[in-house]
Amino acid sequence: MIQRAVAILLPVLIAGCVSSRIEQSREGVTGIAGGEGMVILGRASYNDHQTEESFTDCISDILVKGATPIRLIPDQEFKDNLFPWFEPRTAPTSAGELSRLFAQPGVQDRIDEANVRYLTWIDGDTVTVDKGGSMSCTISTFGGGCFGMSYWEQDASYEASIWDLDNLTTAGQISADANGTSYLAGLIVPIPILARPGNAACKGLAKQLRAFVVGE
Amino acid sequence: MGHFSYQTHLAALVMGILLTSCTTNVRVEGTVPTPLVAKIPANIGVHFSDEFRTFHYQEDLKDSGTWKIPLGGKNLTFFQNLLSSMFTAVEEVSEPPFPDGEMQHLDGVLVPRITKYGFLTPAISGLKFYSASIEYQILLYNREGEVIGDWNIVGYGKSEGGSFGADEALGDATMLAIRDGGARIAIEMSQQPQIIKWVKNIEATVAE
Repeated sequence: MIQRAVAILLPVLIAGCVSSRIEQSREGVTGIAGGEGMVILGRASYNDHQTEESFTDCISDILVKGATPIRLIPDQEFKDNLFPWFEPRTAPTSAGELSRLFAQPGVQDRIDEANVRYLTWIDGDTVTVDKGGSMSCTISTFGGGCFGMSYWEQDASYEASIWDLDNLTTAGQISADANGTSYLAGLIVPIPILARPGNAACKGLAKQLRAFVVGE
Repeated sequence: MGHFSYQTHLAALVMGILLTSCTTNVRVEGTVPTPLVAKIPANIGVHFSDEFRTFHYQEDLKDSGTWKIPLGGKNLTFFQNLLSSMFTAVEEVSEPPFPDGEMQHLDGVLVPRITKYGFLTPAISGLKFYSASIEYQILLYNREGEVIGDWNIVGYGKSEGGSFGADEALGDATMLAIRDGGARIAIEMSQQPQIIKWVKNIEATVAE
Protein backbone atom coordinates (compact mmCIF):
# COMPACT_ATOMS: atom_id res chain seq x y z
CA MET A 1 0.00 0.00 0.00
CA ILE A 2 2.78 2.41 1.00
CA GLN A 3 4.83 1.41 -2.03
CA ARG A 4 1.86 2.12 -4.32
CA ALA A 5 1.33 5.54 -2.71
CA VAL A 6 5.02 6.41 -3.16
CA ALA A 7 4.89 5.27 -6.79
CA ILE A 8 1.94 7.60 -7.42
CA LEU A 9 3.22 10.58 -5.44
CA LEU A 10 6.89 10.52 -6.48
CA PRO A 11 6.41 11.63 -10.11
CA VAL A 12 4.02 14.35 -8.90
CA LEU A 13 6.61 15.56 -6.37
CA ILE A 14 9.59 15.59 -8.73
CA ALA A 15 7.75 17.20 -11.64
CA GLY A 16 7.23 20.93 -11.28
CA CYS A 17 4.43 22.89 -12.90
CA VAL A 18 4.83 24.13 -16.46
CA SER A 19 2.44 26.42 -18.26
CA SER A 20 2.62 26.39 -22.04
CA ARG A 21 0.93 28.06 -25.00
CA ILE A 22 0.94 27.00 -28.66
CA GLU A 23 -0.17 29.33 -31.46
CA GLN A 24 -0.38 28.71 -35.16
CA SER A 25 -0.82 30.84 -38.25
CA ARG A 26 -1.46 29.22 -41.61
CA GLU A 27 -0.69 30.93 -44.89
CA GLY A 28 -1.50 28.13 -47.31
CA VAL A 29 -3.02 24.69 -47.75
CA THR A 30 -0.69 21.94 -46.55
CA GLY A 31 -0.45 18.17 -46.90
CA ILE A 32 2.27 15.64 -47.51
CA ALA A 33 2.22 12.81 -50.05
CA GLY A 34 3.76 9.38 -49.55
CA GLY A 35 7.50 9.56 -50.09
CA GLU A 36 7.70 13.29 -49.54
CA GLY A 37 9.82 14.40 -46.62
CA MET A 38 10.67 17.29 -44.38
CA VAL A 39 13.89 18.68 -42.99
CA ILE A 40 14.12 20.43 -39.62
CA LEU A 41 16.93 22.94 -39.13
CA GLY A 42 17.77 24.97 -36.04
CA ARG A 43 18.54 28.64 -36.59
CA ALA A 44 22.08 29.57 -35.61
CA SER A 45 23.14 33.16 -35.62
CA TYR A 46 26.23 34.77 -34.20
CA ASN A 47 24.61 36.51 -31.27
CA ASP A 48 24.02 35.29 -27.72
CA HIS A 49 21.34 32.79 -28.63
CA GLN A 50 21.13 29.65 -30.72
CA THR A 51 18.48 26.97 -31.02
CA GLU A 52 19.70 23.98 -29.02
CA GLU A 53 20.46 20.84 -31.01
CA SER A 54 18.72 18.85 -28.29
CA PHE A 55 15.48 20.74 -29.05
CA THR A 56 15.47 19.98 -32.79
CA ASP A 57 16.43 16.37 -31.97
CA CYS A 58 13.48 16.18 -29.56
CA ILE A 59 11.04 17.36 -32.25
CA SER A 60 12.52 14.97 -34.83
CA ASP A 61 12.26 12.02 -32.43
CA ILE A 62 8.54 12.69 -31.95
CA LEU A 63 7.71 13.30 -35.62
CA VAL A 64 9.27 10.09 -36.95
CA LYS A 65 7.10 8.04 -34.58
CA GLY A 66 3.38 7.83 -33.96
CA ALA A 67 0.35 6.94 -36.03
CA THR A 68 1.28 9.35 -38.84
CA PRO A 69 5.09 9.36 -38.95
CA ILE A 70 6.77 11.97 -41.15
CA ARG A 71 9.84 11.11 -43.21
CA LEU A 72 12.63 13.39 -42.02
CA ILE A 73 15.88 14.05 -43.85
CA PRO A 74 18.75 14.28 -41.31
CA ASP A 75 19.84 17.92 -40.99
CA GLN A 76 23.57 17.21 -41.40
CA GLU A 77 22.93 15.18 -44.56
CA PHE A 78 20.78 18.00 -45.95
CA LYS A 79 23.38 20.67 -45.16
CA ASP A 80 26.21 18.59 -46.64
CA ASN A 81 24.26 17.87 -49.85
CA LEU A 82 23.49 21.56 -50.27
CA PHE A 83 26.78 23.00 -49.00
CA PRO A 84 27.45 25.98 -48.92
CA TRP A 85 23.85 27.22 -49.06
CA PHE A 86 22.48 26.24 -45.64
CA GLU A 87 25.35 27.23 -43.34
CA PRO A 88 24.52 29.64 -40.47
CA ARG A 89 25.67 32.75 -42.35
CA THR A 90 24.60 31.72 -45.86
CA ALA A 91 21.19 30.13 -45.29
CA PRO A 92 18.13 31.97 -46.64
CA THR A 93 16.44 34.06 -43.97
CA SER A 94 13.03 34.19 -45.65
CA ALA A 95 11.07 32.09 -48.11
CA GLY A 96 11.34 35.01 -50.53
CA GLU A 97 15.02 34.15 -51.01
CA LEU A 98 14.26 30.57 -52.09
CA SER A 99 13.70 31.35 -55.78
CA ARG A 100 17.17 32.97 -55.99
CA LEU A 101 18.69 30.01 -54.14
CA PHE A 102 16.95 27.45 -56.36
CA ALA A 103 18.43 29.18 -59.42
CA GLN A 104 21.92 28.13 -58.26
CA PRO A 105 23.33 25.20 -60.23
CA GLY A 106 22.35 21.83 -58.80
CA VAL A 107 20.24 23.08 -55.88
CA GLN A 108 16.82 22.25 -57.36
CA ASP A 109 18.10 18.80 -58.43
CA ARG A 110 19.38 17.97 -54.95
CA ILE A 111 16.06 19.02 -53.36
CA ASP A 112 14.16 16.92 -55.90
CA GLU A 113 16.43 13.89 -55.35
CA ALA A 114 15.81 14.02 -51.60
CA ASN A 115 12.08 14.64 -52.25
CA VAL A 116 11.95 17.40 -49.63
CA ARG A 117 8.52 19.01 -49.51
CA TYR A 118 8.87 21.12 -46.37
CA LEU A 119 11.75 22.93 -44.72
CA THR A 120 11.07 23.87 -41.10
CA TRP A 121 13.26 26.37 -39.32
CA ILE A 122 13.21 26.26 -35.53
CA ASP A 123 14.23 29.50 -33.87
CA GLY A 124 14.37 30.11 -30.13
CA ASP A 125 15.88 28.82 -26.93
CA THR A 126 15.34 28.11 -23.26
CA VAL A 127 16.73 30.64 -20.81
CA THR A 128 16.82 30.96 -17.05
CA VAL A 129 14.94 34.17 -16.24
CA ASP A 130 15.12 34.08 -12.45
CA LYS A 131 16.83 32.15 -9.70
CA GLY A 132 17.24 32.43 -5.98
CA GLY A 133 17.23 30.76 -2.58
CA SER A 134 20.15 29.03 -0.94
CA MET A 135 21.10 25.57 0.11
CA SER A 136 24.11 24.24 1.95
CA CYS A 137 25.35 20.73 2.39
CA THR A 138 27.59 19.55 5.21
CA ILE A 139 29.26 16.32 6.09
CA SER A 140 30.84 15.35 9.41
CA THR A 141 31.78 12.30 11.42
CA PHE A 142 28.24 12.26 12.84
CA GLY A 143 26.61 12.31 9.42
CA GLY A 144 25.63 14.96 6.96
CA GLY A 145 22.84 16.51 5.00
CA CYS A 146 21.58 19.36 2.89
CA PHE A 147 19.37 22.16 4.21
CA GLY A 148 17.63 25.09 2.51
CA MET A 149 15.90 25.59 -0.78
CA SER A 150 16.85 27.03 -4.17
CA TYR A 151 14.73 27.68 -7.24
CA TRP A 152 15.17 28.69 -10.84
CA GLU A 153 12.58 29.80 -13.38
CA GLN A 154 13.03 28.92 -17.05
CA ASP A 155 11.32 30.32 -20.09
CA ALA A 156 11.23 28.31 -23.33
CA SER A 157 10.23 30.26 -26.41
CA TYR A 158 10.41 28.75 -29.90
CA GLU A 159 8.97 29.43 -33.33
CA ALA A 160 8.75 27.03 -36.25
CA SER A 161 8.59 28.59 -39.68
CA ILE A 162 7.43 26.09 -42.29
CA TRP A 163 8.47 26.66 -45.91
CA ASP A 164 6.80 24.79 -48.76
CA LEU A 165 9.59 23.92 -51.21
CA ASP A 166 7.08 23.03 -53.96
CA ASN A 167 5.66 26.54 -54.04
CA LEU A 168 8.73 28.34 -52.58
CA THR A 169 6.47 30.07 -50.08
CA THR A 170 5.93 30.20 -46.34
CA ALA A 171 3.21 27.71 -45.41
CA GLY A 172 2.85 29.02 -41.86
CA GLN A 173 4.31 29.50 -38.42
CA ILE A 174 3.83 27.77 -35.10
CA SER A 175 5.04 29.27 -31.85
CA ALA A 176 5.47 27.51 -28.53
CA ASP A 177 6.05 29.22 -25.21
CA ALA A 178 6.43 27.42 -21.91
CA ASN A 179 7.41 28.62 -18.48
CA GLY A 180 8.17 26.72 -15.32
CA THR A 181 9.96 26.98 -11.98
CA SER A 182 12.12 24.19 -10.61
CA TYR A 183 12.95 23.73 -6.93
CA LEU A 184 15.67 21.94 -5.06
CA ALA A 185 14.69 21.41 -1.45
CA GLY A 186 17.27 20.25 1.08
CA LEU A 187 15.63 18.08 3.74
CA ILE A 188 18.70 16.10 4.76
CA VAL A 189 18.69 14.67 1.25
CA PRO A 190 18.26 17.09 -1.69
CA ILE A 191 14.83 16.65 -3.28
CA PRO A 192 14.50 18.04 -6.81
CA ILE A 193 11.14 19.23 -8.12
CA LEU A 194 11.93 19.83 -11.75
CA ALA A 195 9.90 21.76 -14.28
CA ARG A 196 10.92 21.10 -17.89
CA PRO A 197 9.56 23.93 -20.02
CA GLY A 198 11.85 23.02 -22.95
CA ASN A 199 10.42 19.53 -23.01
CA ALA A 200 6.84 20.86 -22.81
CA ALA A 201 7.51 23.29 -25.68
CA CYS A 202 9.03 20.47 -27.75
CA LYS A 203 6.05 18.16 -27.26
CA GLY A 204 3.52 20.91 -27.97
CA LEU A 205 5.36 22.18 -31.03
CA ALA A 206 5.92 18.69 -32.47
CA LYS A 207 2.26 17.75 -32.05
CA GLN A 208 1.09 20.93 -33.76
CA LEU A 209 3.74 20.68 -36.50
CA ARG A 210 2.66 17.14 -37.37
CA ALA A 211 -0.98 18.23 -37.65
CA PHE A 212 0.03 21.27 -39.72
CA VAL A 213 2.16 19.34 -42.21
CA VAL A 214 -0.25 16.44 -42.57
CA GLY A 215 -3.01 18.97 -43.19
CA GLU A 216 -5.31 18.03 -40.33
CA MET B 1 67.29 0.98 -4.89
CA GLY B 2 64.29 -1.03 -5.90
CA HIS B 3 62.11 0.86 -3.40
CA PHE B 4 63.43 4.21 -4.64
CA SER B 5 62.70 3.17 -8.20
CA TYR B 6 59.11 2.26 -7.26
CA GLN B 7 58.59 5.66 -5.58
CA THR B 8 60.10 7.47 -8.51
CA HIS B 9 57.84 5.64 -10.91
CA LEU B 10 54.79 6.30 -8.76
CA ALA B 11 55.63 10.01 -8.50
CA ALA B 12 56.17 10.18 -12.27
CA LEU B 13 52.84 8.45 -12.83
CA VAL B 14 50.98 10.82 -10.49
CA MET B 15 52.68 13.83 -12.07
CA GLY B 16 51.78 12.51 -15.50
CA ILE B 17 48.13 12.06 -14.52
CA LEU B 18 48.00 15.55 -12.99
CA LEU B 19 49.58 17.16 -16.02
CA THR B 20 47.34 15.23 -18.42
CA SER B 21 44.24 16.21 -16.46
CA CYS B 22 45.14 19.88 -16.98
CA THR B 23 45.44 19.50 -20.74
CA THR B 24 42.47 19.33 -23.09
CA ASN B 25 43.28 17.68 -26.39
CA VAL B 26 40.67 18.76 -28.91
CA ARG B 27 39.86 16.54 -31.87
CA VAL B 28 38.52 18.34 -34.93
CA GLU B 29 36.20 16.00 -36.77
CA GLY B 30 33.34 16.35 -39.22
CA THR B 31 32.13 15.72 -42.72
CA VAL B 32 33.84 17.25 -45.75
CA PRO B 33 31.06 18.35 -48.12
CA THR B 34 31.58 19.08 -51.80
CA PRO B 35 30.37 22.60 -52.63
CA LEU B 36 27.45 22.98 -54.98
CA VAL B 37 28.70 25.99 -56.95
CA ALA B 38 29.47 26.78 -60.58
CA LYS B 39 33.12 26.06 -61.38
CA ILE B 40 35.40 29.01 -62.10
CA PRO B 41 36.78 28.30 -65.61
CA ALA B 42 40.46 28.25 -64.73
CA ASN B 43 43.26 25.72 -64.31
CA ILE B 44 44.95 26.60 -61.06
CA GLY B 45 47.80 25.50 -58.92
CA VAL B 46 47.48 25.59 -55.15
CA HIS B 47 50.25 25.65 -52.60
CA PHE B 48 49.54 24.37 -49.11
CA SER B 49 52.48 25.30 -46.89
CA ASP B 50 53.71 22.96 -44.17
CA GLU B 51 52.39 25.43 -41.62
CA PHE B 52 48.93 25.24 -43.23
CA ARG B 53 49.03 21.44 -43.43
CA THR B 54 49.98 20.93 -39.80
CA PHE B 55 48.44 24.01 -38.20
CA HIS B 56 47.88 23.58 -34.51
CA TYR B 57 46.95 26.00 -31.77
CA GLN B 58 47.80 25.88 -28.11
CA GLU B 59 46.69 28.21 -25.34
CA ASP B 60 47.09 28.12 -21.59
CA LEU B 61 44.05 29.37 -19.69
CA LYS B 62 44.32 30.20 -16.02
CA ASP B 63 41.11 28.41 -15.03
CA SER B 64 40.96 25.48 -17.42
CA GLY B 65 44.55 24.54 -18.19
CA THR B 66 46.18 23.96 -21.55
CA TRP B 67 44.13 23.55 -24.72
CA LYS B 68 45.64 21.86 -27.75
CA ILE B 69 43.77 22.13 -31.05
CA PRO B 70 45.42 20.41 -34.02
CA LEU B 71 43.16 21.56 -36.86
CA GLY B 72 45.61 21.42 -39.78
CA GLY B 73 44.71 17.93 -41.01
CA LYS B 74 40.95 18.41 -41.22
CA ASN B 75 41.37 21.94 -42.57
CA LEU B 76 43.68 20.66 -45.33
CA THR B 77 41.24 17.92 -46.38
CA PHE B 78 38.45 20.48 -46.41
CA PHE B 79 40.39 22.93 -48.59
CA GLN B 80 41.61 20.24 -51.01
CA ASN B 81 38.00 19.18 -51.58
CA LEU B 82 36.70 22.76 -51.66
CA LEU B 83 39.14 24.10 -54.24
CA SER B 84 38.94 20.96 -56.43
CA SER B 85 35.20 21.60 -56.76
CA MET B 86 35.52 25.33 -57.42
CA PHE B 87 37.87 25.34 -60.43
CA THR B 88 38.07 23.46 -63.76
CA ALA B 89 41.33 21.81 -62.73
CA VAL B 90 43.48 22.01 -59.61
CA GLU B 91 46.96 20.69 -58.89
CA GLU B 92 49.27 21.18 -55.94
CA VAL B 93 52.45 23.13 -56.65
CA SER B 94 55.58 24.19 -54.79
CA GLU B 95 55.84 27.45 -52.88
CA PRO B 96 56.34 30.81 -54.60
CA PRO B 97 58.44 32.05 -56.37
CA PHE B 98 57.41 29.46 -58.96
CA PRO B 99 59.91 27.88 -61.35
CA ASP B 100 59.44 29.06 -64.98
CA GLY B 101 58.17 25.75 -66.31
CA GLU B 102 55.65 25.14 -63.54
CA MET B 103 53.29 27.98 -64.53
CA GLN B 104 53.07 27.26 -68.26
CA HIS B 105 49.88 25.19 -68.14
CA LEU B 106 48.28 27.04 -65.22
CA ASP B 107 46.17 30.20 -65.19
CA GLY B 108 47.20 31.11 -61.65
CA VAL B 109 48.15 29.83 -58.21
CA LEU B 110 46.25 30.13 -54.94
CA VAL B 111 48.08 30.16 -51.62
CA PRO B 112 45.82 29.91 -48.55
CA ARG B 113 47.15 30.69 -45.07
CA ILE B 114 45.68 30.57 -41.59
CA THR B 115 46.60 33.92 -40.07
CA LYS B 116 44.69 33.69 -36.82
CA TYR B 117 42.80 31.18 -34.70
CA GLY B 118 40.99 31.90 -31.46
CA PHE B 119 38.39 30.36 -29.19
CA LEU B 120 36.18 31.23 -26.25
CA THR B 121 34.93 28.93 -23.52
CA PRO B 122 31.62 29.51 -21.69
CA ALA B 123 33.65 30.53 -18.62
CA ILE B 124 35.22 33.37 -20.61
CA SER B 125 32.25 34.49 -22.72
CA GLY B 126 29.50 33.93 -20.15
CA LEU B 127 27.42 32.23 -22.86
CA LYS B 128 26.31 28.61 -23.15
CA PHE B 129 28.60 28.00 -26.11
CA TYR B 130 32.15 27.24 -27.06
CA SER B 131 33.06 29.40 -30.04
CA ALA B 132 35.96 29.41 -32.47
CA SER B 133 37.15 31.69 -35.23
CA ILE B 134 39.69 31.18 -38.00
CA GLU B 135 41.06 33.97 -40.15
CA TYR B 136 42.28 32.92 -43.59
CA GLN B 137 44.35 34.87 -46.06
CA ILE B 138 44.13 33.76 -49.68
CA LEU B 139 46.64 35.03 -52.21
CA LEU B 140 46.14 34.65 -55.96
CA TYR B 141 49.21 34.75 -58.19
CA ASN B 142 48.96 35.19 -61.96
CA ARG B 143 51.00 33.22 -64.48
CA GLU B 144 53.82 35.75 -64.18
CA GLY B 145 54.04 35.11 -60.43
CA GLU B 146 52.58 38.47 -59.40
CA VAL B 147 50.02 38.74 -56.60
CA ILE B 148 46.73 39.86 -58.21
CA GLY B 149 44.33 39.03 -55.38
CA ASP B 150 44.55 39.14 -51.59
CA TRP B 151 41.51 38.29 -49.44
CA ASN B 152 40.95 37.86 -45.76
CA ILE B 153 38.06 35.67 -44.71
CA VAL B 154 36.96 34.87 -41.18
CA GLY B 155 35.06 31.71 -40.35
CA TYR B 156 33.04 31.43 -37.14
CA GLY B 157 31.63 28.43 -35.36
CA LYS B 158 29.95 27.76 -32.05
CA SER B 159 28.75 24.68 -30.28
CA GLU B 160 26.80 23.95 -27.14
CA GLY B 161 28.93 23.04 -24.17
CA GLY B 162 27.79 20.79 -21.36
CA SER B 163 29.35 19.85 -18.07
CA PHE B 164 31.35 17.18 -19.89
CA GLY B 165 32.79 17.02 -23.36
CA ALA B 166 34.44 20.45 -23.56
CA ASP B 167 36.91 18.99 -26.04
CA GLU B 168 34.09 17.73 -28.25
CA ALA B 169 32.26 21.06 -28.11
CA LEU B 170 35.36 23.05 -29.09
CA GLY B 171 36.23 20.52 -31.80
CA ASP B 172 32.71 20.92 -33.17
CA ALA B 173 32.93 24.74 -33.01
CA THR B 174 36.28 24.63 -34.84
CA MET B 175 34.86 22.37 -37.56
CA LEU B 176 31.92 24.76 -37.97
CA ALA B 177 34.40 27.65 -38.30
CA ILE B 178 36.21 25.77 -41.08
CA ARG B 179 32.85 25.14 -42.81
CA ASP B 180 31.82 28.76 -42.41
CA GLY B 181 35.08 30.03 -43.91
CA GLY B 182 34.81 27.46 -46.72
CA ALA B 183 31.20 28.44 -47.45
CA ARG B 184 32.18 32.10 -47.80
CA ILE B 185 35.09 31.23 -50.08
CA ALA B 186 32.85 29.02 -52.24
CA ILE B 187 30.18 31.69 -52.62
CA GLU B 188 32.17 34.92 -52.62
CA MET B 189 35.38 34.14 -54.46
CA SER B 190 33.82 34.19 -57.93
CA GLN B 191 32.27 37.59 -57.13
CA GLN B 192 35.59 39.29 -56.31
CA PRO B 193 36.45 42.03 -58.85
CA GLN B 194 40.01 40.68 -59.20
CA ILE B 195 38.70 37.18 -59.96
CA ILE B 196 36.18 38.51 -62.49
CA LYS B 197 38.94 40.47 -64.27
CA TRP B 198 41.31 37.47 -64.10
CA VAL B 199 38.70 35.09 -65.58
CA LYS B 200 37.95 37.59 -68.38
CA ASN B 201 41.65 37.64 -69.25
CA ILE B 202 41.78 33.83 -69.28
CA GLU B 203 38.72 33.64 -71.54
CA ALA B 204 40.17 36.31 -73.85
CA THR B 205 43.44 34.34 -74.06
CA VAL B 206 41.55 31.13 -74.89
CA ALA B 207 39.50 32.96 -77.58
CA GLU B 208 42.70 34.13 -79.28
